[in-house]
Amino acid sequence: MSFGSPYFSLPEFTYHHPNNLEEVLRLLETHGEEAKVMGGGVGLLAFMKERLMSPAHVIDIKGIRELKELKYTSGIGLSIGACVTLAEVARSDAVKQHYTALQEAVSRAADPMIRGRATLVGNLCEAIPWVDSPPALIALGGVVRVNGPRGGREVDLGSFIKGPVDIELQPDELVTHLVLSEGPPSRRSTFQKFSAGSEFSVASVAASVVFGKRREARLVYGGVSSTPVRSLEAEKVVAEGEVSEAMILRASQAASRSVECVSDVLASADYRRHLVQVLTTKALRRVFER
Amino acid sequence: MKVNGQTRRREVKDNELLLDLLRERLEVKSVKAACWRGECGLCTVLLNGELVKSCLVLAVEASGGEVVTVEGIGEDGGGGLTAIQRAFMEHGASQCGFCTPAFVLTTHELLRRNPSPTESELTEAVSGLICRCGTYNQIREAVAAVTAHDKRSVSKKLVESTR
Repeated sequence: MSFGSPYFSLPEFTYHHPNNLEEVLRLLETHGEEAKVMGGGVGLLAFMKERLMSPAHVIDIKGIRELKELKYTSGIGLSIGACVTLAEVARSDAVKQHYTALQEAVSRAADPMIRGRATLVGNLCEAIPWVDSPPALIALGGVVRVNGPRGGREVDLGSFIKGPVDIELQPDELVTHLVLSEGPPSRRSTFQKFSAGSEFSVASVAASVVFGKRREARLVYGGVSSTPVRSLEAEKVVAEGEVSEAMILRASQAASRSVECVSDVLASADYRRHLVQVLTTKALRRVFER
Repeated sequence: MKVNGQTRRREVKDNELLLDLLRERLEVKSVKAACWRGECGLCTVLLNGELVKSCLVLAVEASGGEVVTVEGIGEDGGGGLTAIQRAFMEHGASQCGFCTPAFVLTTHELLRRNPSPTESELTEAVSGLICRCGTYNQIREAVAAVTAHDKRSVSKKLVESTR
């Protein structure tokens, strides 16, 4: 049915449902620019209804068993296949235990129905500024594993997401996994966001602190501008300062000052700068309290 | 695929949505078409045991699968209605009624998995659904009434919070 508005229908395309990775890569090599890979389809189908994308070929990868695996190996780390849903990531005990910021980000993303369909790798490939998992994964040092006709490669998430809906991936390549190495046992992380119910985040922060002789900190902000951004200034305050409420305040102010924020329909830049300060304080209190 | 226990066969187009197949071609009218972009959740169905928004699923993805809608959850011996449906009626948890099938299906599924949800578990479970009339309090009372009647496990917190 169509009411004449593009929202209600999908453009025409040929649907492919390969059952092995070689077949996906072959399809991508043949159709390249004309094709889009579909995981959960949540983002892709919404884009297609609005005619922001009209691929002639849709390659559904849900039939590929090796991409459905979430695997944690002690001492090595976590590998999450391209078809693993946000709900599956949220349920994982290994994620809860070793990658807290990721667990907190995915378990409160969107709503339960969306989390049951949307995939973590899909989140990353969509590269929408207000999505919660990218800041968490960047804070934890995430890497994407890419496969294609020129072989496999790994790309650091920080450089993988280049801009809104713009990623470091060739049309004939596929992201097969998201990989997180095993962090030091002393690492603590958290994710905090401000959003209206199940809506997109107006601002979010993922904080990761490694305790030791030299303290290391990563503070990554989502929802505030076109891509997730770190605040090196605030990270420096956290890494070098004595732990106290005063230091948390200084770091929060540094973040608010240094993180570039945009104005849009969700919020003004000023309001976002305020949220950056509040969320940084919340995140750092959590990290230092635990 | 199977819809509410019955095998239905149709040839589908590659770009056909599960929502359109169910509503327009299989005449399952409880599945509502409203926002078409996965925000309001009124097209929610159970696909292979999982709640999904059918406006974000291709018909072909459900091929060979099993779909259950609110038409498929009735109990024998209860006038065809489930406990949650009776509670919705008793507590006026439906105003214009447009969102009711989705809320009934979702809360029915919640109670099947978790017979005594806390208030936050209930809020979380229906967070992907929008009632344009704003009957959320009545829906909460209806769910609380069902959990209170369930002798095996009474969710005191949820029941008390609605008093």
